[in-house]
Amino acid sequence: MTKPRRRVLGRSRKREERSAYLFIAPWIAGFLLFWLAPMAISVVLSLMDWDLLSTPKWIGLQNYAELFFNDRTFWVSVGVTLKYIVLSVPLYLVTGLLLSLLLNLKIRGITVFRTILFIPSILSGVAVAVLWVAMLNPDTGAVNDVLRQIGISSPPRWLQDPSWAVPSIVLVGLWGIGGGAIIYLSGLQNIGAQLYEAARIDGAGAFQRFRFVTLPMLTPTLLFVLLTSLIDAFQVFDTAYVLGGSQGGVGDSLRFYLINLYNAGFVGGRFGYASAMAWILVLAAAAVILIIFRTSGRWVYYEYDPESER
Amino acid sequence: MSVATAKPRPDADGAGRNRAYPLATLIRRRGKRAVLKGAAYVILLALSAFVLLPVAWMLTAALKPDLVSVFTVTPQWLPTDHWDWVNFRRALFDTLPFARYTFNTLVIAGGNILGTLISCSLVAYGFARLRFRGSGPLFYVLIVTMLIPWQALMVPQFLMFFKIGWYGTILPLIAPAFGGTAFYIFLIRQYMRTIPRELDEAALVDGLNRWQIFWRIVLPLSTPVLTVCAVFTFIYNWNNLLGPLIYLNNDSQFTIPIGLANLVTRAGTPWNLLMAANLLSIIPPVVIYFVVQRKLIGGIASVGLKG
Amino acid sequence: MAEIELIGVSKAFKDGTLAVNDLNLFIPDGKILALVGPSGCGKTTALRMIAGLEDLTSGTIRIGSDVVNDLDPGARDIAMVFQNYALYPHMTAYQNMALSLRIRKVPKAEMHRRVHKAAEILRLEELLKKRPREMSGGQRQRVAMGRAIVREPKAFLMDEPLSNLDAKLRVQMRSEILRIQQELGTTTVYVTHDQTEAMTLGDQAAVMRLGVLQQVDTPQELYRNPANLFVAGFMGSPGMNMVEARLQRTDDDLVVEFGSHRLVVGEALKAADSVRAFVGRSVIVGIRPEHISDASVETSAPQGSRLRVPIELREEMGSEILLHFTVDAPPVLNEDIKEIHADKEPDVLEALEEQLESRRSVFVARVDPESRSRVGDMAELVVDTTRLYLFDPATGRALGTEARAAVHVTN
Ligand SMILES: Nc1ncnc2c1ncn2[C@@H]1O[C@H](COP(=O)(O)OP(=O)(O)O)[C@@H](O)[C@H]1O
Ligand SMILES: [Mg+2]
Repeated sequence: MTKPRRRVLGRSRKREERSAYLFIAPWIAGFLLFWLAPMAISVVLSLMDWDLLSTPKWIGLQNYAELFFNDRTFWVSVGVTLKYIVLSVPLYLVTGLLLSLLLNLKIRGITVFRTILFIPSILSGVAVAVLWVAMLNPDTGAVNDVLRQIGISSPPRWLQDPSWAVPSIVLVGLWGIGGGAIIYLSGLQNIGAQLYEAARIDGAGAFQRFRFVTLPMLTPTLLFVLLTSLIDAFQVFDTAYVLGGSQGGVGDSLRFYLINLYNAGFVGGRFGYASAMAWILVLAAAAVILIIFRTSGRWVYYEYDPESER
Repeated sequence: MSVATAKPRPDADGAGRNRAYPLATLIRRRGKRAVLKGAAYVILLALSAFVLLPVAWMLTAALKPDLVSVFTVTPQWLPTDHWDWVNFRRALFDTLPFARYTFNTLVIAGGNILGTLISCSLVAYGFARLRFRGSGPLFYVLIVTMLIPWQALMVPQFLMFFKIGWYGTILPLIAPAFGGTAFYIFLIRQYMRTIPRELDEAALVDGLNRWQIFWRIVLPLSTPVLTVCAVFTFIYNWNNLLGPLIYLNNDSQFTIPIGLANLVTRAGTPWNLLMAANLLSIIPPVVIYFVVQRKLIGGIASVGLKG
Repeated sequence: MAEIELIGVSKAFKDGTLAVNDLNLFIPDGKILALVGPSGCGKTTALRMIAGLEDLTSGTIRIGSDVVNDLDPGARDIAMVFQNYALYPHMTAYQNMALSLRIRKVPKAEMHRRVHKAAEILRLEELLKKRPREMSGGQRQRVAMGRAIVREPKAFLMDEPLSNLDAKLRVQMRSEILRIQQELGTTTVYVTHDQTEAMTLGDQAAVMRLGVLQQVDTPQELYRNPANLFVAGFMGSPGMNMVEARLQRTDDDLVVEFGSHRLVVGEALKAADSVRAFVGRSVIVGIRPEHISDASVETSAPQGSRLRVPIELREEMGSEILLHFTVDAPPVLNEDIKEIHADKEPDVLEALEEQLESRRSVFVARVDPESRSRVGDMAELVVDTTRLYLFDPATGRALGTEARAAVHVTN
């Protein structure tokens, strides 16, 4: 009577399993070919000196040593990227949230405004940058024209001024802030109306409702936006490439991390060196993501999710 | 201060009166709301102008005759005498080869859409519906790859494609799509999980095999999310600069983003034609955006939720 | 067409739930078996195992002459009607019904003929071009039936196919299903939690409780001669009245005493060995509402079958009257009773708990419409003591079943 508890899979389960592997085969292949293999190659490569034409030479950790102790432009690129992160991420987080609150108002024509404000975020970094490189031309661009007309006689020289270059890119990014706002908006619209009603009954004013209902309920969305905007900030390329050229703008003011990496590898032909840089980027990004995830438990509030994993 | 008067008056003189709020408070409340609403409209209009004016400015710049804009010290917001609509044709065909760039970009985007839809829907179905050993860990790996930026692997990927002789072709820009994209797989899987499982079971009883269930039942029901993925893929490839920049080495293969970027970074930029090309380049994404707006925002919303 | 047999079938889910425990069933060719029990008792799981949608943990399932344990659902030649129909939303009614035939490469003309014949039987010719979302609940139900019919399968498996319909439609579809099943003569397993449905639909009914089969028989026999307290309490509406009593011997009679009441046990039961073994011990007495009548109507009844009780509620049902009255003894509230009422009527359990506290039970009598008893009256009621049910309080096992079978024959 007592049968063994653990049975081998039934024949139909086996068939199911076999077809499952067939279904996911494309991704398995893609993962091995386009992720795992490059990762392995990349590790090895970062320990070599190789320009693609000559025979690769094993040099151990020299690439890393050079990066850390002997490469001024590397540190410049780190500085530019960090400056951008510090300036842009909090700004985008807050302005996106404020804009989404505005777009969440139940007033006539709001969908039209949502549509308009979302448009820039679907345009390419290149198209936006091409537009703004013209707009920000210190002499002939529209921005300074407006500034002069409202009485600012010597407006910033934007991209041509090293101290204004990164802020310029941050401002250009602000033009596409509607994209982030849409994500907050969906978060806002998922907050149940009865929560607000309950808060109202408890006597909460508009600000208190925001503070004690909206903000806590929106923390998962905030976490998501924080993570994605950080990852994006680590990888600025298109805008910087168009606004500053492949050499990193005036006085290296736009030498973002990826611009520098691209130069080292694809312009300078130092592929081992570029791989080392890529690994530093990955580790830095991973560290930041990990820290945020570790600390997110303290400020992210998750609603009970009835759909549990298998 | 008359804080007290804002409170409902004690109902001294009996029933039949409006118990909620005295009239003055109601009016004041209405007034406050009207002011707030007005302020909201002012801000929204200002923001819309902030978004739309640069686009309008781009149009006027595109219509100017050659060289003018570069030499006028005070920029003009409207082209005064010339409305050179011909600039668009020149950007596409005569002076600049943007028609060819557009074709190249479309080919790459099309290949990516095809690859993405095929592979991602298959894989998503496997993860969404089938039970197999290792599905949990494998799905975890998939999620992790979502967090690793492609740029981190572009050097070794480049070397691999270089070694097999694909440098200078569009193959490295298309082939990876057939290996699936973690993000889209995730998106489609989430969607497929909302399709009632009984449909699969009914189909099993009806005698369909897994492939037939996928093809005849689940896939047709997943068109909304597939549309979202197709649109995302299109926009991503339409906008992608770095990939084509690395792999393409011949002007005849260039894409729109490379074409634009090259024009900006080299000397003697024909600004009017560049603006014309740029304006044309933003039309497809915007049109698509308007066509599938609702689905798109729904898709983005679901990303935001589950992220 | 084929018979279905389940031999020692068990299902343990990964989380340890033993949903079906050693189930043995036999459904003869062309018959309809109602699998009934409160929700969560494992009916769906059992049905899904027959369909092949769920693996067996142990046991054997046979359809016709084939053991189907390792066959995919599609290879078992069975058709299933799902609780929420599971129609393909993107297909028309016609396509929904035709899909299985297309997959099996049935020739176009034959497919057309079968779909239209099914549509005719179900009276849904008008709907063939519509998609599920354009149909009412009843129409979807018909299409789901049609999808099963066109297959001309060996067996129909139906999982609460009517539970999403409103009461009136449910009664109508019930007779429709019965008509179709008889017309086609297809072996059918019909899962329901509704004992009325099981009573009216099944050639046979199988009652399950917590994964364990309690009894299989014709619905009439289940009702008349339940094997245990659970089956007795589950079948019938209003349910059997139950109270704990002492079984005593006085002079030549066996009597059951509860509160201030005593009833003389009928001759046949009295003779049964299993009953006599309980003399001097407590038993559970069960009385069906229709076996209690109004003494003013039934004047000739002997003393040992009368109850003098206060009437609490009088429900006019037209052809009969339901009298609710109290008995001064605590009601039965054991695991069986809790299981019976758990899903459908939680407030019934609450009421029973209250009664337990006040040590009085509410009984229901189904009496002749002539009855004059009013609320607040002390009424004289008569119990048909030949139809008493006695159960072992410890196990719930019915006592004297052998005797009842005899009564049944002599009646
Ligand atoms: N996939 C599953 N995993 C774990 N437990 C399950 C699963 N499906 C059903 N059960 C459990 O098995 C028991 C029987 O379920 P089911 O067959 O659906 O009952 P019924 O159809 O009679 O209402 C219940 O306790 C239920 O919770
Ligand atoms: Mg069920």
